[in-house]
Amino acid sequence: MTSIVKLDHLIKKYHQSSKPAVSNVTLEIPEGAVFGLLGPNGAGKSTTVMILCGLLRPDSGSVSVMGLNMQEQGSDARKLIGVAPQEIALFPSLTAYENLFYFGRMYNLSSNVIRDQIKKYLEVFGLTEKANKPVFTFSGGMKKRLNLIAALLHKPKLVILDEPTAGVDVQSRNMILDFLTELKAGGTTIIYSSHVLEEAERICSHLGIIDEGKLLVSGTRAEVMVAHPECKNLEQLFLKLTGKNIRD
Amino acid sequence: MKILATIYKEFLLLIRDPGGMALIFIMPLSLVIVMALVQDAPFRDYQEIQLDVILVDQDADSLSVKVIEAFKASANVNLIIKTDTAEAKRLVQAGDYKAAIFIPKYASETLRMKSRELITTVFSNFGLPVAPSDSTGVSTIELKIFFDPAIKANYQQTLSTSIEKIIATVQSEWILEELQIQLGDGRENAKKTELDLSQIIQVSHRYASTHKYQGLMLNSVQHNVPAWTMFAMFFILYPLAGNFIKEREEGSMLRLRLISGSQFPVIAGKFAFYFFVCMTQFLMMIAVGIFVMPLLGLSKLVLGGNPLLILLTASCVAMAATGYGLLIAVFFRTAQQALSFGSVSVVILSAIGGVWVPAYVMPEILQNLSRFSPMNWGLESFNDLFLRQASIYTILPNVLKLVSFALVTVSASVLIHKSRTVV
Repeated sequence: MTSIVKLDHLIKKYHQSSKPAVSNVTLEIPEGAVFGLLGPNGAGKSTTVMILCGLLRPDSGSVSVMGLNMQEQGSDARKLIGVAPQEIALFPSLTAYENLFYFGRMYNLSSNVIRDQIKKYLEVFGLTEKANKPVFTFSGGMKKRLNLIAALLHKPKLVILDEPTAGVDVQSRNMILDFLTELKAGGTTIIYSSHVLEEAERICSHLGIIDEGKLLVSGTRAEVMVAHPECKNLEQLFLKLTGKNIRD
Repeated sequence: MKILATIYKEFLLLIRDPGGMALIFIMPLSLVIVMALVQDAPFRDYQEIQLDVILVDQDADSLSVKVIEAFKASANVNLIIKTDTAEAKRLVQAGDYKAAIFIPKYASETLRMKSRELITTVFSNFGLPVAPSDSTGVSTIELKIFFDPAIKANYQQTLSTSIEKIIATVQSEWILEELQIQLGDGRENAKKTELDLSQIIQVSHRYASTHKYQGLMLNSVQHNVPAWTMFAMFFILYPLAGNFIKEREEGSMLRLRLISGSQFPVIAGKFAFYFFVCMTQFLMMIAVGIFVMPLLGLSKLVLGGNPLLILLTASCVAMAATGYGLLIAVFFRTAQQALSFGSVSVVILSAIGGVWVPAYVMPEILQNLSRFSPMNWGLESFNDLFLRQASIYTILPNVLKLVSFALVTVSASVLIHKSRTVV
C-alpha cells in the first residue's frame, strides 16, 4: 500500500520551551487508512498535526503529503487536505449555509458544486433544518458537525481531524464516527488525533502513540497490539507506554 | 471570486452587528452634528456675531447721535440705550451684556470746543484772523467702555477700535466744519460744504480666490464635516480590527489559513469592504452637512471644488484609514491591545491633524507635528478643495502622501499576516 503521508525525522521546539514538542518523529501513513494519532495532553499531537497542515514549520525533518513536500509545495498539498481543527473554525453570526458557502468559495469551488456539497453534508449530519440559523445558536455537537463539513467541501483525499468529538453528546459522537467509517470506505485517508481510546479502537485501522514529542509506537492496530501481548486493550497499552502520571 | 466572497461575508458580519453599525454610521453622524454645533460660536468671529452692548447716553447730543447711527449700521453690535450708569455697570458685571459704553454729559459740546480751539491755535500760528474762542483749557472728554471680564480679547479690541474710529471720524468732520466756519467768517458768499470723510479711502475685504465660491470661509460646518468624517473613517479600525481579531480568536481565521492559496484575497476582501464603508460614511456625512446642518441653524456645507477631486481625496483618505485599521488588526494579538492602541492613536492623530481645532491655531510644535498626520493631509486637501477650489496639482502632494501611507500600511499588514500564517 502506498504511503499518503510521510514524516521524516521531524523535530519542532518552541522558543519558550526547554524540550522539543516533536522529537525526531518518523512515520508513514498508508493511503485509505484511518490513522489514530494518540497521546496524552501536551504529548505533541497538535504540533504534529499543525506541521502536517503546513501551519508550523519544523525545525528539521520533512513532511510530504501525496508526494508533495509540505515546505516547498505546501499550497498544492493543502488542496488535497481537509482539516477540522479542534476549535470551531466558523463565523458564529453567519448561518450554517453562509459559512459553508463562503469556505467553499475560498476553496475555489463553483456555486453549483458548493450547493450540492452543502445539501449532501447537511443531510448526512442532520443539519438541513438548521441551514439558515446562525451558528451561535447551535449546540456544541452541531457546531462540531458543521466544523467537519467545512473540512470536506472540496472533497479532500486526506482529512485531518483534531479531537473531532471533544465536548459533544453521545448521539453526535456516534454520528461523526459512523460518518468517518463511511468516509474511509470511500477511500479517503483520515488522520484522527484524539485521546479518546474507545473511539480509536472503533474506527482506526492504524495507530501511533506519541508522548513527550516522541512517537512510541506505530503500525496497524493489530501490529501494535501483537507487539504488546501483555496488554488486553488499547487503554492498557496506552497507559503502559505513557505512564499513569497526570500531564496537565 | 474569493475577494467578492470575502466582501459579501464582511457585509453579512457587519449588518448582523448592531453595535458595529452604530459605531460606523450613527456615532459619526451624531459626532459631526454635535461638534459642528459646539464649535459654531468659537468659529464665528466678530464679523459674524452680534454683541449686545449698552450705551449710557448722558450726552444726548450730536456725538451720541453719531455713535448710535454708526452702530445701527453695524450688523455686529446691537445697542441697548440706558440712562442709569450704575445699572449698566451691574448688568455688564453680571455677564448679561458684554460691554457698556458711557458717553459723558457735554461730550458733544466739549468736542466742538476742542475742535474750535485746535483751529484757532493753527490759525493764530499762521497769523490769520481768528474767531473769538471760549474753549481755552477745555478738559479732555472721558468716554468709558466697561467690559465683561469674560469677553474674548478680540471682541474687546474690535469694539474699542470701532468706538475710536467713530469718534475720530466725528472729530475730523467737526474740525473741517470749524475750519470752514472760521475761513468763511465775515464773507457773505461763504459756502459750507457737507463733507463725507468715509468716501476718501475705502477698505474692502475679499478672499483670495478667483473662483465661483469667492467669499466662502472656514466656518464650523466647513471645518467639522470633513474633519470628523476623517476621524470616523479612521475609526473604522475599531470594527475592522475587532472582527479580524475575533475571527482569529474564534478560529475561523485558522480555517482560512488552512485553505490552499494566497492570503491576499482575505486581506484584499476586507480592505475593499471597509474601503466601501469609509466611502459610505463620507457620502453620508457630506449629505448631513448639506441637508441637515442648515435645519439646525448652522451653515450649509458648500463643496466648492471639483466633485471628482473631492471623491478622489475621500478615496485616498478611505484607503489610508482602512490600511491603518488593517495594520492594527494584524499587528496586535489581542482585541484589547488593538482597540485600545487603535482608538488612542486615532484620537492623537486627529488632534495633531487639526480635526479638533484647525492646525493654524495650534502651537508651532504641534503645527510641525501635524504634517505627519494622515488626517492633516486629508483635511488640508478638503480645505483646498472646499474653500480654495484648488486644482489637482495643489492637492496632489497630500493625496500622494495618503496613497503612500495606504500602500505602506497594507503591505506591512500583508507581510505580518503572512509571517504569522506559517510559524
